[in-house]
Amino acid sequence: MEQRKRDAKPYPWRAFPFAGTVLKNLFSKPVTTGYPFEPAQYPQRMRGHVEIKIEDCISCGLCARNCPPGALKVDRAAGTWTINRFDCVQCGNCTNVCPKKCLSIVPGYTTPSTQKSSETFTRPKTPDAPAAGKAGGKPENDPAKCVYCTLCAKKCPQGAITVDRAAKSWQLDPDKCVGCGICAASCPKKCLTLK
Amino acid sequence: MAKQSVVPFGPQHPVLPEPVHLDLVLEDEVVVKAVPSIGFIHRGLEKLVETKDFKEYVYIAERVCGICSFGHGMGYCQCLEDIMHVEIPPRAKYLRTIWMEMSRVHSHLLWLGLLADALGFESLFMQSWRLREKILDMFDATTGGRVIFSVNCVGGVLKDMDDTMLKTIVDTVNDMEKELRPIAEAFLHNYTVGTRLYGLGVLSAEHAQMMGAVGPTARASGVSYDARELGSAAYGDLDFEPIISKEGDSLARCDVRIREIFQSFDLIRQAAAKIPQGPIAVPVKGNPNGEHFLQFEQPRGEAIYYIKANGTRFIDRFRLRTPTTSNIPAMLEMLKGCQLADVALLILTIDPCISCTER
Repeated sequence: MEQRKRDAKPYPWRAFPFAGTVLKNLFSKPVTTGYPFEPAQYPQRMRGHVEIKIEDCISCGLCARNCPPGALKVDRAAGTWTINRFDCVQCGNCTNVCPKKCLSIVPGYTTPSTQKSSETFTRPKTPDAPAAGKAGGKPENDPAKCVYCTLCAKKCPQGAITVDRAAKSWQLDPDKCVGCGICAASCPKKCLTLK
Repeated sequence: MAKQSVVPFGPQHPVLPEPVHLDLVLEDEVVVKAVPSIGFIHRGLEKLVETKDFKEYVYIAERVCGICSFGHGMGYCQCLEDIMHVEIPPRAKYLRTIWMEMSRVHSHLLWLGLLADALGFESLFMQSWRLREKILDMFDATTGGRVIFSVNCVGGVLKDMDDTMLKTIVDTVNDMEKELRPIAEAFLHNYTVGTRLYGLGVLSAEHAQMMGAVGPTARASGVSYDARELGSAAYGDLDFEPIISKEGDSLARCDVRIREIFQSFDLIRQAAAKIPQGPIAVPVKGNPNGEHFLQFEQPRGEAIYYIKANGTRFIDRFRLRTPTTSNIPAMLEMLKGCQLADVALLILTIDPCISCTER
């Protein structure tokens, strides 16, 4: 097989083009730091791990449903929020979808471990707030304003609202409703009020 | 004619960063033909689009590749925005452009390091990656991630950069430009590097076009094609020309990538100077319905995104053709007539990303 030749003129070779860099490196400080003896400096925006303000959580389950690797579990009855830190990829989607903004991504890595385990947070049951986190209350519909567009039913993370456009009916399942307020925020006619 | 023999090459090889297998037909030490086979790291990411919400899939799209992760997220989002007729705010376009160009610098510096490593020039490898670390630190400061940024969303971007941050980026870029010059000198004018790269694996412009080569591989052979010229994001407002070289050998491919780093520095400065104020995202309502085909320039070359949506929140089909897929036939052409000892180096000169290719 014929060997192809490059027909252009060769590049001008220079003697020791890297020598300057080598000498500079020899007489300058190392660029690496002495981690772990010197603690690492994390920038403010660094996505290290997810933190939750469990008192504000209303267990709507939106985070768990929108978690790409499925690292989150929400148990509404027990009031718990569980994260498997080894599955979490720190994408930050849970913090974007959380209606109460109780999730946040903070700098710093979690501690390494030899076993995959989950971390569970339980919402405290305080006497002065029996329906903890449900500060927003449940939606009430004003039939005079409602146009039965079904947007609230589509947006409801728990599927607690049933709207029948033909029969002009709007129904709420109070057991399913977590009082996140997404329905009221998405209502184009502003006919839903949280009480 | 000498007796032909077949030597298996890869998928595990000290020089290969990712698994690709080649059956090399040799005549003595000279390669006559190479037969590739891929499929060692298929992950089925395209199929996942059927079971994930289209907004949630952005986070999966950017995990197709660890180097062009931002580009894949951006390409997927742009494709969906075109389907849904969403015009993203100008500031978001500029932010995407800045991050994309930073990704290109990061990708090319990584490749330069890998090349120096394959040549056995360890100190040059370390010097390249040391410079790359500055870009990674800037990613960390602006997006929160060093490799996976998670800043793209359908309708814009999730994070903004304030003026101080933009100024830091421009200052760092200016510093890096000064530091890159001696490194570029060592790649292009060093006799030792030259003996390994000069005249090796020449790909003519006709062959590059015929084999469908894209990106720096094609541009090093004199094909003046850069998908950024199509004007996606803010590229239409910026002043640049595709960087080409006529030689088509491995040194030319190295030269084109080095000059593209300098070009990216310039584009970052231009974008930082022109960036308008305003919102960074627009709300997206409803679900996508229809299909779209998008060409987009990744650091390694032109990638193609195809989305077919059906009006629900799940997409019917997402197809991603990565630059390496188009560059493999050109690589096989380059391999013909080279020595067995140069095969690993030649595979590296197309900047292969097998994980992207198999998705």
